[in-house]
Amino acid sequence: MRRGNISSWNKISPQAILFAVLILLSLGLSVHSPFFFKWDNLRNVLDQSTLNIIFGTGMTLVIVSGGIDLSVGAEAALAGIIMAIALHAGMGVTPAIVAGLATGLLFGLLNGSCIALLRLNPFIVTLASMSIIRGLTLILTGSIPISGFSEDFLWFGSGNAGPLPTTAVIAAVIALLGAVVLNWTKLGYYSTALGGNEEALRRSGVSTATYKIALYILCGFTAAVAGLVMTARLNSADPTAGYMMEMDAIATAVLGGTSMRGGAGSIGGMVIAGLLLAVLRNGLVMHGIASYYQQLLTGLIILIAIFASEMRSRSRDGLSI
Amino acid sequence: MFKKLALAGAIMVLLIGIAGCAGNKGAGNAPSPAAPAANAANAAFNDAQTKLLDSLQPLPKATKQYKIAALEITLANPFWVTVKQGYEDAAKEYGVTVDVLAAPKENDVDSQLETLKTIVNKDYDAIAVSPITPLNLVPGVADATRKSIPVVAVGNNIDTEAAAKANATIKAFITSNFEDQGKLGAGFIANKIGSGKVAIIEGLAGAAQGEARKKGAQETFEANPNIKIVSIQAGDWDRQKAYNIAASLIQANPDLKGIYCANDVMAMGVVEALKAAGKKGQVVVTGNDFIDEAKTSIENGELDASVAMSPYLFGKGGIILALKVLEGQSVKQDIYWSPVALIDKDNVKTFDGWK
Repeated sequence: MRRGNISSWNKISPQAILFAVLILLSLGLSVHSPFFFKWDNLRNVLDQSTLNIIFGTGMTLVIVSGGIDLSVGAEAALAGIIMAIALHAGMGVTPAIVAGLATGLLFGLLNGSCIALLRLNPFIVTLASMSIIRGLTLILTGSIPISGFSEDFLWFGSGNAGPLPTTAVIAAVIALLGAVVLNWTKLGYYSTALGGNEEALRRSGVSTATYKIALYILCGFTAAVAGLVMTARLNSADPTAGYMMEMDAIATAVLGGTSMRGGAGSIGGMVIAGLLLAVLRNGLVMHGIASYYQQLLTGLIILIAIFASEMRSRSRDGLSI
Repeated sequence: MFKKLALAGAIMVLLIGIAGCAGNKGAGNAPSPAAPAANAANAAFNDAQTKLLDSLQPLPKATKQYKIAALEITLANPFWVTVKQGYEDAAKEYGVTVDVLAAPKENDVDSQLETLKTIVNKDYDAIAVSPITPLNLVPGVADATRKSIPVVAVGNNIDTEAAAKANATIKAFITSNFEDQGKLGAGFIANKIGSGKVAIIEGLAGAAQGEARKKGAQETFEANPNIKIVSIQAGDWDRQKAYNIAASLIQANPDLKGIYCANDVMAMGVVEALKAAGKKGQVVVTGNDFIDEAKTSIENGELDASVAMSPYLFGKGGIILALKVLEGQSVKQDIYWSPVALIDKDNVKTFDGWK
């Protein structure tokens, strides 16, 4: 990386900018609506950011390595359905959850194997597995949601862990694990290197396939955890659950500063981005703004974020814009 | 290999052609201004509105400017946009305010619940909900109940058993009788043909309104000894699937006399298939929902009939019910029925301005 052309703009980390936007937006909403800055509502915002953060953790790891996983929404739905079927078959809460999480690991393994061993394009592989898994959810349920679970299970979606929603604690744990993996493990180091220059890594004798597969397994795992949260929150495993969630996950990761070209990413930034999107949606609903504008605004914000991060990296690399 | 490719190509071209024709027809006719018959404009709608208001007597009077929130399934579907119009017009009429919201994505069960939870944390006096599934809004309705915010259901209700378990209360419910819709459509076919073979094209298996329409239609046909159902097929609400089903049905049963479709989109596909097979004159087709395209088709003498419910009155009824609850009036009916009507070539003129 050439460091000839550093302006003061480049010294501020993008995460700090994102955080400032989050604080400003929250302050603005607090001033503008008396209902925003109430504990009940803040709890809500936390709860609502959890899915994006859980999905976003796995997605960040995969995108950092130069890959993508479009199947996460479908994986979450399937994991929830497996849990629901196991619970209705009389299995205990723990084994049922383990079965669901194992589903996520399994499809992560399949995605990773196709991408790393067969050397197929991750976009196409996960697009195909998204369709396959969505098909499985419909076959398993006959398109009828499975519902009615014990309080023990529902705790994972709508319960409290101390003053916080359980879901927020789950999301915090997942994000923390993701940060540890990305920043302090060999897997994290190699995944960043994979996204930077895969060929160089391979030539230096690193078994890139193993690390790639591990990343997709982790991504499948986070999707299954999201499936647990969704199913327990709604008290219902719905074959259409998590529909288009992969897009939200990608948006959260990218908004948080992960480069779509791979090689750079931040779990901390992703968490701030998840919170920012939740605050934004909450604020729009608080002001009674129609859902049309929510989609429009989310898209615009992501576009601006990508533009800003591209400008920075180009000027840092000494390229003209 | 080449032959297969050529065949696939030919089919593609054909499909695009069909889609194009269908699209053009819709687009070409959509902007055409309603040309009402001299005195009949809005007649059917006014009729239906009177009927609904009668069932809601005594009508409430808002003693203060209540703030009401309405949470719909989606705003990316014309049906729900018309419901929104009903909410907003009724709010104006009764001197209250309403904010109409929806899940940002259709079928997004989780974000619809999130939206409801946010609504509950605001200062609304009452909430009208139209849940995507019977279960997804239960936790949010329970939150509202805990905060003593009355909730009414519009179109779809939450599951009563799950609601009772979660201490979630729905104070009133307005919807349309989907089974009656099936009966009306099938009854029209039975009357018209007297006797013979019929078929049913249902919607997506498992969807509540589709199942109810199919049940109504099936019972009506089966109650008539002169009529024989030769096939019940799932068209998944899809025009192309319905087209293919109808094309095969008419091959297998050259003497088929009627096809009941659970919505208009599928009925439009069936009409095209029958036209292509040269059998439109022989087979009576009915749809459901009375979309603009169906109206034009009925006027042109192609589609034989459609069954309409009034999304506008869903919204209006929702506001009135919310006000009744807020003003402490008793809710006499478990379910308030928004009227349904059958439209064919003879009465289609009176359905100008139906909403």
